[in-house]
Amino acid sequence: MKKTNVEEINRNIYDIKNEDKYEFKIRKGLTPDIIAEISNQKQEAEWMREFRLKALEVYNSLELPTWGPDLSELNMDEIATYVKPKSKLNSSWDDVPDDIKNTFESLGIPEAERKSLAGVGAQYDSEVVYHSIKEELVKQGVIYTDMETAVRDYPELVKPYFMKCVSVRDHKFVALHGAVWSGGSFVYVPKGVKVDIPLQSYFRLNSPEAGQFEHTLIIVDEGASLQFVEGCSAPKYNKVNLHAGCVELYVKDNAYLRYSTIENWSKNMLNLNTKRAIVGKNAQVDWVSGSFGSKISMLYPMSILNGEGAKTEFTGISFAGKGQNLDNGFKVVHNAPNTSSVIDGKSISKNGGTCTYRSLVRISENAKNSKCSVSCESLMLDSLSKSDTIPVNDIRTDDVEFSHEAKIGKISDKTIFYLMSRGLSEEDAKAMIVRGFAYPISKELPIEYAVEMNNLINLELEGAIG
Amino acid sequence: MNNTLLDIRDLYVNAEGQEILKGLNLKINKGEVHIVMGPNGAGKSTLAHSILNNPTYEKENGEIIFEEEDITDSKTDEIARKGIFMSFQLPEEIPGVSVTNFLKYARNKMTGKPVRLMPFKEEIRGYMEQLDINPSNMERNLNVGFSGGEKKKNEILQMLVLNPKLAILDETDSGLDVDAIRTVSKGIQMYKNDENAVLIITHNAKILENLKVDYVHILVDGKIVKTGTEELAGQIEKEGYGKYKLE
Amino acid sequence: MMDKIRLNETPVRTSVKFGINDIVLDDFTVPEEITAFDSVTIKDRAGQVTTNERIKDTSLIYGVGEILEDQVNEQSNQNIKIVMDQKNQENVELVFDFQGKDHCLVDNIEILAEEGSKGTVILKYKSSKDNADLHEKDYHNGICRIKAKKKSDIRVIVINLLNEDSRNFISLESNVEESAKVDIITVDFGGRSSVSNYYVNLEKNNSEGNINSIYLGKEDQKIDINYMAHLYGEKTNIDIEVQGALKDRATKSFKGTLDFKTGAKKAKGNENEFCMLLSDKAKSKALPMLLCTEEDVEGNHSSASGKVDSKELFYLMTRGFSQKEAMKLIVKAKFSHIIERIEQEELREEILAEIDKRLD
Repeated sequence: MKKTNVEEINRNIYDIKNEDKYEFKIRKGLTPDIIAEISNQKQEAEWMREFRLKALEVYNSLELPTWGPDLSELNMDEIATYVKPKSKLNSSWDDVPDDIKNTFESLGIPEAERKSLAGVGAQYDSEVVYHSIKEELVKQGVIYTDMETAVRDYPELVKPYFMKCVSVRDHKFVALHGAVWSGGSFVYVPKGVKVDIPLQSYFRLNSPEAGQFEHTLIIVDEGASLQFVEGCSAPKYNKVNLHAGCVELYVKDNAYLRYSTIENWSKNMLNLNTKRAIVGKNAQVDWVSGSFGSKISMLYPMSILNGEGAKTEFTGISFAGKGQNLDNGFKVVHNAPNTSSVIDGKSISKNGGTCTYRSLVRISENAKNSKCSVSCESLMLDSLSKSDTIPVNDIRTDDVEFSHEAKIGKISDKTIFYLMSRGLSEEDAKAMIVRGFAYPISKELPIEYAVEMNNLINLELEGAIG
Repeated sequence: MNNTLLDIRDLYVNAEGQEILKGLNLKINKGEVHIVMGPNGAGKSTLAHSILNNPTYEKENGEIIFEEEDITDSKTDEIARKGIFMSFQLPEEIPGVSVTNFLKYARNKMTGKPVRLMPFKEEIRGYMEQLDINPSNMERNLNVGFSGGEKKKNEILQMLVLNPKLAILDETDSGLDVDAIRTVSKGIQMYKNDENAVLIITHNAKILENLKVDYVHILVDGKIVKTGTEELAGQIEKEGYGKYKLE
Repeated sequence: MMDKIRLNETPVRTSVKFGINDIVLDDFTVPEEITAFDSVTIKDRAGQVTTNERIKDTSLIYGVGEILEDQVNEQSNQNIKIVMDQKNQENVELVFDFQGKDHCLVDNIEILAEEGSKGTVILKYKSSKDNADLHEKDYHNGICRIKAKKKSDIRVIVINLLNEDSRNFISLESNVEESAKVDIITVDFGGRSSVSNYYVNLEKNNSEGNINSIYLGKEDQKIDINYMAHLYGEKTNIDIEVQGALKDRATKSFKGTLDFKTGAKKAKGNENEFCMLLSDKAKSKALPMLLCTEEDVEGNHSSASGKVDSKELFYLMTRGFSQKEAMKLIVKAKFSHIIERIEQEELREEILAEIDKRLD
């Protein structure tokens, strides 16, 4: 009995639950009154309050998607959309309350900050409890703060961009996000400024039957560059939690942004997230995405290549185990000449998990001389699991080079035999192949996160293989 | 003291429902170099795969003894750890795993001891130089995008790094140019000593030019039909397998 | 105003915004009155083909759409049953000639390949009358069911040479028994809209189903292709290859679904789709799906779109070909390995001549 306990704790630092302490937790459900109350709690500007109420109307007018995973178990009357933690926003870890600080310590956030980050934001339930940025970046005019502060202090930077890249009409859950959003990070990198060391935001949802709706808005101005890393996790509860965040990225002419995510939500989470980038002339956005957690995930980051010569790369992996349905993928729209995209999507299904790669490539009429290459590969680790590939390719002009390749199947017996003939056990051989399969993603991550990802893979493989 | 490394007794093996090996006997002692030659489809590769107990091949009868231990039904990785190495005719590609990391991991599995990276890299670099392998291959993904020759040389590199008691080379020379065959022979000479043995499976005799061979076996239709010395290989090269097939 | 009809729905839906879950033809209504269609030529050995015997209405698993399926069941003006048995290794050819008053064909065809049989069935639909003096536009709505018994090996070649004003709808369905093989070759050139649907059920072990298709679109032609394969049996095998070229404002949607079911051990499926865009107004959409609940399978798909290689074009022009001729040559070259699968030389020549004519 004791042994089992120890194993469970060792197995997953992500599962450490704190007591559900909060300063304020909104009652469950979704009504104009509740939205108004969230707005009051935040003491925010009138325009934002009106925006929220309008978004709620849109939410009520839209239907659930007619495709993808079954979302019928989601009952918004059972979800508290706003949980204010018992902590104000701090700029020193010493000021963060112990239980919250310990959570982030065990996730390795302060340590990563000391070693390899230029700035950190940490959100606990609905509010950001810690934010910091290196002094030299501040001197160069870089802004990195929580979203509420940005709305209050930089309305001229926020208002023209906030939910303009992703419209609240886009789908039901982004309308929901517009109504109840809370927390998240705002980054502004001024023209020509290169931020060489990554910034990182970490999102932790501790409260049961609650939702997290953080909004991330990043503007990389002309000729500037930035690497941004996002991590998320939650302890597991019996009832569903909801995450409907929104990420809006504006990559101006000649700018560069790399946006990396390691998502490890607990397996009671519905992750209905929306991420989108608008990319300017000769600018580039690269997405790196590892999706391990969640019960259901519907996540399709999107690059809109609006400027001539704009580029995007997407490298993503999903790993679905028992009880998980990860419907992930990527969307790209080529809207200008000489644009290019490279897409590499991978998935692993085991132990009854379902992975779906769903995508859109659209090359518009005026995207002359554009290039797109897509490769997706799905690994099935047993016959209890499911793996679907549903890619749409929509080519509307002739002067393009477009190619798409996909593969589905198991680890080859020949490969396993080869590795076993070098002394590796069958389990070791399979684990090596799976880690190699995921390597194109882990190599794109900062080293700490690559290690974290490999640990996640090892955790996921335990018991799955053999 | 018993000098025998490998002893195969009356081995019958099926693959995809077809009988391939039909009562094969073969004995290899320490310090010996054996060649198994035979026409296509005689069962040469089946022999190599059966020694390593590839589950695709089904053993119907017979036994394989290695250092006085029955390994007929042992798992492939256990057989490998006992000291049998096989160089593959078509080495598998392993994306996302570098040559160095792979070798380090395999060495650790073989010896059960931690491998220190820096001296290990030096050791590999030394072998690579001898085998005329571009040192930048150390960081490349194992076999991915390697040419046919690079793959075969990489197999020989693995043999040197893992230093087995018995090395089985399955058609390691096929598809190689003269220079590459010479390099492969050189690798075998570097490896070979009085305590280990080599079993070379091939359909032509070119590789023998640079090697001292103790026994040549002719494998036809699942059986060793003749065993001789180096001259036998020369004879086959001239006359082919015709007269052994007729029976 | 009638409700718009949705046709050729995909077995699994994706986002409505992607506009590929189905096709809606807004300038088309299903004709209510079906007149007679008599110009059918049948080449066979006596007794192999029976006509005018109603085919029983087993409903299609997929099909182009319910309303069109109902029309075939209720109003078909050609009912044809073809039996291939071990003695009859000859080929059967049916030619449906749209001419004179014969402008409206609703056909219901059943092909039964008896155990161990081998042979080819050719279904050719062509418009013979001149476009200019058309009063009624040609309309074809057909169903063809193929039952391949054990160890049979059957090839069905469907050739659509209707004119560019016509409407073409066809639903094919195959059930393939143990160690049997059904090869489908389609040549899809005609129709202001051409909507084709094929479902193959590889239910039994070692069954095989292949599809090789070529299509050509010009002016405002709309081509909608929806292929689905269910792989249930062990060592089942499917190969799909689709090659096409689009000119002017032609559009094409290709939907191909390989569905590997649990138990389909060692099954293999390949799906390759290529589209040559010959104009900057032509549009090519594709949704090549792989669905899988069995570990021990190999599934691959690839798709590519782009214009004719300018180096290739230049090379041919230095050899004295005009740009148009060079273009035709390149299109024919891309199609050649599919066309070459057709054993009948006359038919091959006819197809090549049609390509020349339609690309003029």
